[in-house]
Amino acid sequence: MFTQLTSANFATTLESTKEGVALFYKKLCPHCKNMEKVLEKFSGQRQGISFYSIDIEEEADTAKAFGAERAPTILVIKGGKVAATKAGLMNPKEMAAFYDSAKA
Amino acid sequence: MDAAKQFDTVIIGGGIAGMTAAVYLARANHSCVVLESNITGGLCNSTYTVENFPSYTDINGMELMQKVRDQVDALGVPVEEVCEITSLELNGDTKRVHTDEGVYEAPTIILATGRKPLPLEVPTPSDQVHHCAICDGAPYKGKRVLVVGGGNSAFDESLYLMQLGVAHLTLVEVMPRFFAAEKTQDQLMAYKNVRTMKETRVHDLVVEHNVLTGAVLENTQTGARETIPVDGVFVFLGQLPNSRLFAHSITLDKQGYVLADANMQTNIPGVFSAGDINAKTFRQLTTAAADGTIASLMADRFLRR
Repeated sequence: MFTQLTSANFATTLESTKEGVALFYKKLCPHCKNMEKVLEKFSGQRQGISFYSIDIEEEADTAKAFGAERAPTILVIKGGKVAATKAGLMNPKEMAAFYDSAKA
Repeated sequence: MDAAKQFDTVIIGGGIAGMTAAVYLARANHSCVVLESNITGGLCNSTYTVENFPSYTDINGMELMQKVRDQVDALGVPVEEVCEITSLELNGDTKRVHTDEGVYEAPTIILATGRKPLPLEVPTPSDQVHHCAICDGAPYKGKRVLVVGGGNSAFDESLYLMQLGVAHLTLVEVMPRFFAAEKTQDQLMAYKNVRTMKETRVHDLVVEHNVLTGAVLENTQTGARETIPVDGVFVFLGQLPNSRLFAHSITLDKQGYVLADANMQTNIPGVFSAGDINAKTFRQLTTAAADGTIASLMADRFLRR
C-alpha cells in the first residue's frame, strides 16, 4: 500500500501529489507499526489518496527538514504541499479527523 | 447490517497471552479470532531487549512478538488489528463482541487485554514527555533526559537512550529501591553520565515558551526539592489494567484486575482471562504465555463439555 520514498525523491513526489499521507517511521518503533495499520484501515475508507513511507533513520536529513524526527510522524499532503504534520499515534477516527482538518 | 461472525472462541487482546491461547485453540481444531485494539505484541513491543524468554539469549521485543504472530498466522487464525471494541455481552450461552468491524459471537471468550502505561501526574504538561525511548529518543542525542521509574522498563529504555548518545540521564524512583534486574542496573550505573535517585518523585516540570527546560524533583523522605535541567522526560511508572470494557460484568479487584481462579475462569461461565489483566503477583512474558495456555485448554474443555 505504501510507496517507499527516500531523500532523493521525497520533495518531488510531494510536489506532484494532489492528496496524500506520508508516514515517517523507524524500523523498531511499535507505534509506527500501529500507525501503518491505522493508515491501512483509513485507506479502505477513502479513495484517491496516495500513501508514502520514509525511514527516519536512513533519511535523517529529510526527517529533520520536515519536522519529522519523532516516530511516527504523519504528514498530510494536499495540493503538492504539506498541509499538516502530527507526531504520535492516532486511532482511525483521529486520523480521519486530522486528515479532514488539514487545509491545502 | 452484516451478520455476526461465528467462532468457538473470541480472544480479546493480541499480546503474548492472547496469541498463545490462539495457538493452542487452533491446534485443537477450534475456530478462534484475535481482536486487538492496536497491533499484536502488546507491551513487549516496546521492550528493546528481552533476555528472559526461554529460547533466545537476547532478542528485540517486537521481533520476538513477530515470531509468535508468524506462528498464529501459520495456523490460519484470523487477527483483526486496530479493532475498536465498543461493547461486550458476556452473559448467556452466546457471548457477543461489538466492534467497528462488526459483531463477533462465540460460546467462549478469553480476555487478554493487558495493561497500559501509567501517565506522569504533574501540574505542568509538556510535549516533551514520552513513554517510548525507541520511538522518541533520537531527538535527545547530546541532550539531557529524565527517566521516571525504577523497574525493568525504566532501566532497559535508559540503556537504549544511553546508546543513542544522550548527554546526561537522571533516573528517579519513588520507592527506597530499584526493581529492575541487578544485571541491568549494573549496566546502566556503569555510565559516568548517569545519575540514579531513590525515594524521589517528580513534583513538576519547568516549561518555558512551550519547551521543557527542567524538572522539579522532590525527596519523599525529607521533602527537599531540587530543579534539574532536562530536555525530555521518559516515563515508565508501571501500568494500569485495561478492564474498562468488562468492569460492569466481570469480578475485579480494587485496582481493576480480573479475579480469575487458578484455571483462568472468571465469574462468568465460558469467560476466561489470561495475562497481565489478571490479579496476580508476577507479570512476565512467560507467566502471560502460561495463562494463555491454561485459558485456552479450559476453553477447549468448556467447548467439548
